[in-house]
Amino acid sequence: METKIVTGNEAIVLGALRAGVRVVTGYPGTPSSGAIGSLLKMDLKDRHVEWSVNEKVAFEIASGAAWAGQRALCAMKMSGVNVALDSLISIAYSGCNGGLVVYVADDPGTNAGMCEQDSRSFAMMSDLPMLEPASVADGYWLTQAAFDISERVGTPVFVRLVTALANSYAAIHVEDPLPPAEREAILERDITKYTKAGAAICTAQHHDVIARLEKAGQIINQMKLNELQLSENPGGLGVVASGVVFSYLEEGFRIAARFGFERDNVSVLRVVATSPFPASDVHALLCHCGTLLILEELEPHLERGIYVEAQKAGFDGRIIGKLDGLFSRSGEYDVSQVVQGLNRALDLSIPDDLFQSKLQAESMAAQRPITCCAGCPHRGTYMAINQALKRLKLEKDKVMVTGDIGCTILGMNPPFYTVWNEVSMGASVSLAQGYVHAGVSTPVIATIGDSTLFHGGIPGLINAIQHQIPLTLIIMDNGWTAMTGMQVNPGTDEAFQPTGNRSIDMAKLIPALGVENFFVVDPFELDKSATTIEKALMLPGVKVVLSRQECAIQAQRRGLNAGRVRVIPDNCTLCKQCITITGCPAIEIGEESIVVDPVLCYGCGLCAQVCRFEALVGENLI
Amino acid sequence: MKPTTYMTQSTSRIPHDILLFEYDVFLVGVGGQGLLTIGDIIIEAALRKEIAASFYPTKGMAQRGGFVKAQIRLGRQVVGPNIPERGADLVIAMEISEALKAVRFVKPGKDFLLFGHVWPPTAVMLGKASYPSLEQVCEQVRAAGAKVHYLDPEGLPPYEDTSVPANMFVLGAAIAHVGLGEVLDFSDVVHIVQTRWMRDAERNIFALQSGLEANVERS
Repeated sequence: METKIVTGNEAIVLGALRAGVRVVTGYPGTPSSGAIGSLLKMDLKDRHVEWSVNEKVAFEIASGAAWAGQRALCAMKMSGVNVALDSLISIAYSGCNGGLVVYVADDPGTNAGMCEQDSRSFAMMSDLPMLEPASVADGYWLTQAAFDISERVGTPVFVRLVTALANSYAAIHVEDPLPPAEREAILERDITKYTKAGAAICTAQHHDVIARLEKAGQIINQMKLNELQLSENPGGLGVVASGVVFSYLEEGFRIAARFGFERDNVSVLRVVATSPFPASDVHALLCHCGTLLILEELEPHLERGIYVEAQKAGFDGRIIGKLDGLFSRSGEYDVSQVVQGLNRALDLSIPDDLFQSKLQAESMAAQRPITCCAGCPHRGTYMAINQALKRLKLEKDKVMVTGDIGCTILGMNPPFYTVWNEVSMGASVSLAQGYVHAGVSTPVIATIGDSTLFHGGIPGLINAIQHQIPLTLIIMDNGWTAMTGMQVNPGTDEAFQPTGNRSIDMAKLIPALGVENFFVVDPFELDKSATTIEKALMLPGVKVVLSRQECAIQAQRRGLNAGRVRVIPDNCTLCKQCITITGCPAIEIGEESIVVDPVLCYGCGLCAQVCRFEALVGENLI
Repeated sequence: MKPTTYMTQSTSRIPHDILLFEYDVFLVGVGGQGLLTIGDIIIEAALRKEIAASFYPTKGMAQRGGFVKAQIRLGRQVVGPNIPERGADLVIAMEISEALKAVRFVKPGKDFLLFGHVWPPTAVMLGKASYPSLEQVCEQVRAAGAKVHYLDPEGLPPYEDTSVPANMFVLGAAIAHVGLGEVLDFSDVVHIVQTRWMRDAERNIFALQSGLEANVERS
């Protein structure tokens, strides 16, 4: 056993290694990416670890392995579960043989700019157990417990973290990984279990999944994963806390003690397994307490269940939480909600502003919109789109440019203002078709990144080709899944693929789908790219422009530069066009001329291509 | 595997009454300043003294030039990663405008170390947006009831004619001037820096030492 400083993400995969996991799959997504990311840095024998093309595929691979009797882990962010859900619900009905754990990370407080959806809803919808660690250390052992429950019951099990745990570091005790159990892959032919062929099979499986959840509940009770501590005297306050919120409880109790709070009079139910609903513990708490305080982030899942149990138990006390209006369904919790809840429940006269600053200092801070990195190839693509529209005398606010997930969203921000929307993986291509059908008279453009196209964009593109919808798809191919931290995707150069993997070339794939007007451009060549896009916009049918140049961050990590930009101060009039058009963070305003930071500059030369005074000169452009 | 083998590590089974002190640090800055490295070093130094530590970094989506914050909670066995508003014993702000985002979090009467670096966003550079003055920021910190400790970036000395890493300079100042030194051992920090940057250790130690000796204005 050793003590290691790890993140919550790492704790999950270390727990899976200790549980002898054999297959690990997933798709990158903040805040979950660090899980598989850390595994890929390890030297793992006898285990298969991969970034899959999307979450549905990832989950199906893990399920196939688990059906064949092996232990498998599948990792994703909350929106990834939306993608995997079709198979998830169906496989939940079938159950599994080897342990199958789905690790999902939610983002209360939207640190990463996505929907604040609560994955506990998926556990309810799919009738699957869900375990929620309260700390990084919990993540390690609860993942092991999840595999255990999964195999004993024959059901997939969720482990859910939130950003505050997934990305937090703490020291935990880690035991040596265990090799995958030596199990022959089993091939079990049983259409009643593995198909949905017929109403009778489906109905039977529905009964099975309900029964499995109940059995999981019994095992969870035997394991005492949820912990109920009843106070000596009945009639007092009962606190229910789940997940990370539990870790704020003792801190809150100590603070409230300064205002007359007495710890001994409080009962606590710590909910680790939020699915199945901990009915018997809640019932015991309701019978013992006069008031309940429910502490859970996002949706009032436990709270709603508690209202139902309260009705059944004839409870006539108060229930404090979200449904009485005290807490919000949005945002992260910290100790202040614990204190606020205790104050409401016990009338402790804790001043409202103990943890609430009245200052509005943040509103005075300079806006810092996220923008493309220095050398980002997407900059060239946005500039080329804007240029092409200008040449066609089309006003930018009359041309729909749909956007997609990833770094390609940066086009919505200044100085480009190119992209209009961002929905979900692959949505740009399909949304664009809707705009065309709606009767938009100007050309419709869709933009998408490489990993996003592979993930979810291809079906939309195939649909556009089949129906021959006039639109221009611009694929911004930087070779990496960049926004989430530079993961490999199917299009990543073969040199950077894991050993034995192949790369799929979009320049071959797209023409093969029947796209006749297919163009490849280098976004660092502004004029050529703009000319190509201009031409494409005027052609009929589906046109695809593949704008291809590697992510500068990745290239720079290998010591590469696209070129070199030299400033000729005598020519510079400080017109600031270079900054206004490119927004490049490597350009600053100096005393007498603009200045290019030589460390930041990747030498893409886009600034030189917009300078009208030859004050910026690009050299050695590749 | 029997459940008992992994039950020993449950959060709730760690005794929570062993408590020597609690110290929460809130850090803000801009991506590229090395703010998160300060956090890394603080928790490593804490763990060398067997002080329980949680470190929660939050990076924006941009690689560089975006808002970055981090929360460090020391001395709590059972701890949630978020520091509440008005809860931080120490704020370390590495950029003047971003410092404003930490004002809500400083505990009245406690320390706010402000490194006076200015990293103007493009719109500010172009004169299209305003940028807060140092005095405005200090005023807000004082209004929060905290002590301002101002560290001038001009005090950053060159090392062999090259620039010195500002993050280690700021960490040095935090250890010498605002109570972090009472929590951590400077020798531990030096050791961590040495092992972290085998080749570039000297420059970083120099920066740390310069911060230790830097003039910090208190207001």
